[in-house]
This record gives sequence, C-alpha cells and structure tokens, in this order.
Amino acid sequence: MSVPPDITFVVLTTVTLLAAIMALQAKELIYGAISLAISFIGIAGFFVSLDAPYLAMLQIAVYVGAVVVLILFTIMLVRREEADKDETGETGQSAAGLWLAGLLAVSIAGIAALAGPNLPATPPPGNLPVSQLGPVLAGAYPVPLVILALLLSGALLGALVLAKVDK
Amino acid sequence: MVNLPTTPADILPFIIAVVTSHTFITLVIFPGFIHLTIVVMFLTWYERKLLARIQLRIGPLYAGGPGGILQPIADGVKLIFKEVMIPYKADKPLFLGIPLALVFLGALPFAVIPFGQHWVIANLDVGLVFVFAVASLFPSMILIFAWASNSKYPFLGGLRSLFQQVAYEIPMWISALSVVMLAGSLNLVQIVNAQQKTWFIVPAFLSFIVFFIATMAELERLPFDLPSAEPELVAGWFTEASGAVFMVIFLALYMKLYLMSSLITVLFLGGWWGPAFLPQPVWFILKALIVATIIIIPRGVYARLRVDLLIKVGWTRLLIIALANVFITVVLLSTGVLSAWGL
Repeated sequence: MSVPPDITFVVLTTVTLLAAIMALQAKELIYGAISLAISFIGIAGFFVSLDAPYLAMLQIAVYVGAVVVLILFTIMLVRREEADKDETGETGQSAAGLWLAGLLAVSIAGIAALAGPNLPATPPPGNLPVSQLGPVLAGAYPVPLVILALLLSGALLGALVLAKVDK
Repeated sequence: MVNLPTTPADILPFIIAVVTSHTFITLVIFPGFIHLTIVVMFLTWYERKLLARIQLRIGPLYAGGPGGILQPIADGVKLIFKEVMIPYKADKPLFLGIPLALVFLGALPFAVIPFGQHWVIANLDVGLVFVFAVASLFPSMILIFAWASNSKYPFLGGLRSLFQQVAYEIPMWISALSVVMLAGSLNLVQIVNAQQKTWFIVPAFLSFIVFFIATMAELERLPFDLPSAEPELVAGWFTEASGAVFMVIFLALYMKLYLMSSLITVLFLGGWWGPAFLPQPVWFILKALIVATIIIIPRGVYARLRVDLLIKVGWTRLLIIALANVFITVVLLSTGVLSAWGL
C-alpha cells in the first residue's frame, strides 16, 4: 500500500526549511529575522495541520510576535558597521559544524529507526486536555521526547559557542 | 458544496450558486471585503469631519454627497496619481511590500469577528487568540518598514512604536483574560452569546477601562501618538511614505481602528445583541462606530504624553490593574455572585 504524499506537509516542510536556511545565510541581518519569522509561521502551519490551532496561534503570538521582535530590537540597537564587520569566515569552523550536524542527524535517525516500531499505532486524540499532555508525552512517546531534548541541548550549546566573546 | 459544472449549460447556474452561497457572501460582501472597504473609507471621512467639528471648522465639504462624504474617493484618486517617492538607499522590496502586508494583517482578523449570529466567516474555536496573534505581528512590520525607509525620523518612530505596542500588548491580553473566564470560551461567537443578558462591561468594568486604554496605545491614537509625533518626528514611522504607499498604510491604520473597535464591541459591549427592531449586524456596526468615535475624539482634545510617562503607565499601572481585575473576576465567579446576571 503506497501512501500518497501529503501536499500540505511537503509545502510546509519546504517553506519552513528554506526559510530557516535563509535565516542563517542572509547577508543582511534584518532579512535573516524576516526569514526566521516565516519559518516560525511554517511551524504554526504544522500545528494547524495537526489539529492544534491553539498551539499554532500561540506559536505565532509568542515566536513571531515576541521573539522576532526581540531579535529585531537587538539588530536595530547594534550599529550597522559593527554587525557588518563580523565576517571572519573561518573554513575550519564550518566544516566542523557540518560534520557535527551530520553526526547529530545520523544518531537521531538511528534512534528513531530503532524506537519507531515501539510507538503507539494510533495517535492520541486531537482534543487532548492539557492535564493529560505530560503523561501522554512521557508515557507513550519517551523516545521522541528525548530526541527533542537532544536537539534543544544541541541548539543551546551552539548558541553558547556563537555568543562566546573572544578574548 | 456546489458541484463543478460539466456542460456549458451548467455554467450560469454554477456561477449563481457560487455567488449566492453563504461562504461567498460572507467573504466578499458582508463581513468581508466590500463591507470593510466601505466602512474604512467612511471612517477616514468621519474622523476628518469629527475633528473639524471639535475644532470649530467645517471639514470636508466640496467632494460631493452630504457633508462631502465622497472625500475618501477624491483622496484615493489623488494619492494613486501622485508619484511614489522611494528614498535613496531604501530597501525597495520591503518598502513596497510591508504596507501591503499591513493591510492584509489588518483585514485578516475580520475572518473571526462575528457581526451577527450567522454573519461570521470562520467560526474558529480559538478566535480571540487568532486576533491577538495576528495583531501581534503589527509592531514588527512597522519597525521593518521604518528600517527599510533608511531615514532617521521613521527609524525613531518605528522604535517608539515597537516599545509602545509591546508594552501595551500585555495589559491588553490580561484584561481580555477576565472576559474569557466569564464566557468560558475563546470562541468569539460564544463570547457574544454569553452576553445575551448582561454585557461584560458591567462585571468586568476595570478590564474594559484597561483594554480601552491599551487599545488607544496600540492604535497610536492621542494621547499615545508618540510614534508619529509631528513636532519631533515629522510623521513618525511613515514619514517617507508617499502616494500609493501612504494610501495603503493609511488604509491599514483605519482597518486596525475598525478592528479594535469591533473587538471591544465583541468582548465588552455584547456584540450584535440589542433590541430586535434592528437586524443584528446593524447593532454591531453601530456599536463599533460609537467605540471608534470615542477613540477618535481625544485627538481633538488631549495633548501628547511624554515617553517615560507612557512606559510607566503601561508597565506599572495598567498591568497591575489588569492583574487585579483577573483576581476580582475569579472571586466573583467562584462565589457565584454573577449567577443572578445569567453568567
């Protein structure tokens, strides 16, 4: 049995990922912030397609409405020359970054492949009460939760490295 | 649902079926496109006329119709034919694109605003959060537009606008919380239905005051119009806008004015409820226009606040009153005092 490709999913994934890449690659910081906002809106689209409109709205309100605003503030308050001259471009760093990202992706894929068969066959009901969210997440979906935690800690470490002030 | 036409003879009935379908009518004619355009154009004329009367002037007169009511059309034609000046080294795609995005964002929340029991485009369960989520995109758009103008005055105005709107969004959300608790729903239709006996302005009067003040600040209306303070910043964040770009921004601002008036009507003034001799949408529009009038009048009456006072009022007064009112609402609900009012 072949599953037809879910057009919504494909479009949302493309938009979200392209916008995320643009956010990293943009020469002008403000375009990066706009791309990031588009990426967040794409994620909100995922929530809508998963029957969680409330999460989608909060995603837009909190991430696009607040986090992107904070980023914009930071960009505006940093003078343009300072932001522009930070173009060190060390090739060794980007190679190491790619390598680490690949390693992370492979390990996550491995864990997912190993744990995949253990996941419940039917998803939990869409209108789950908030009080049931914790038990369902930690009880039925421990592995995805751990993968998320791994990703988040990776992002946190990356942020630390990026923000490190060179002495 | 309407079936797609298969033979040429089916095309006319198909078109008629589409045009008379509820979706089409709500989307294009009544709460949708045409109604919005007309009301927004009316509001631009109305504000000029009202302010003129407050200042003992006559206001628009010669454009035709009673009291020059066709003035918005004349204004629109004039602005369309004027040259669009794009500042040197401005970011052209953003400079032209953001005004359109502002209009889109101003019109989008009307999809969930109920103008009557059945006059709503999308009866969304999280309607209120949808309105707030879309409204929260405004400040960043304004800042990006100000940045794209590549000019000093718009930039300062944009930063002020962002500070102000972010500061007043919080009391606004929190004061809406007590309405949500009273209605027990985020669905705007259910919020209005819960006000059939008592409008929420009665049990949540403090909330109404806080919400109203926060709305004035969100709309950059006097006495909160620091982002476009003309003695200091020319015209604030849209100083560099001219011609059609200015017209589009102007439309977006009035769209937001109408949106916030409608939201106040839905949350506090009982939405479409009123004596039965007028249809529901008429009551709704009347109430929204009265709210808009009260929002407009201070422009002819009050002076502008100082920046530090503005931030102080937002963070130290309104926020606390809003939180206190949430507490009061919890007490009122849990003691059952409100059951006499049908809540």
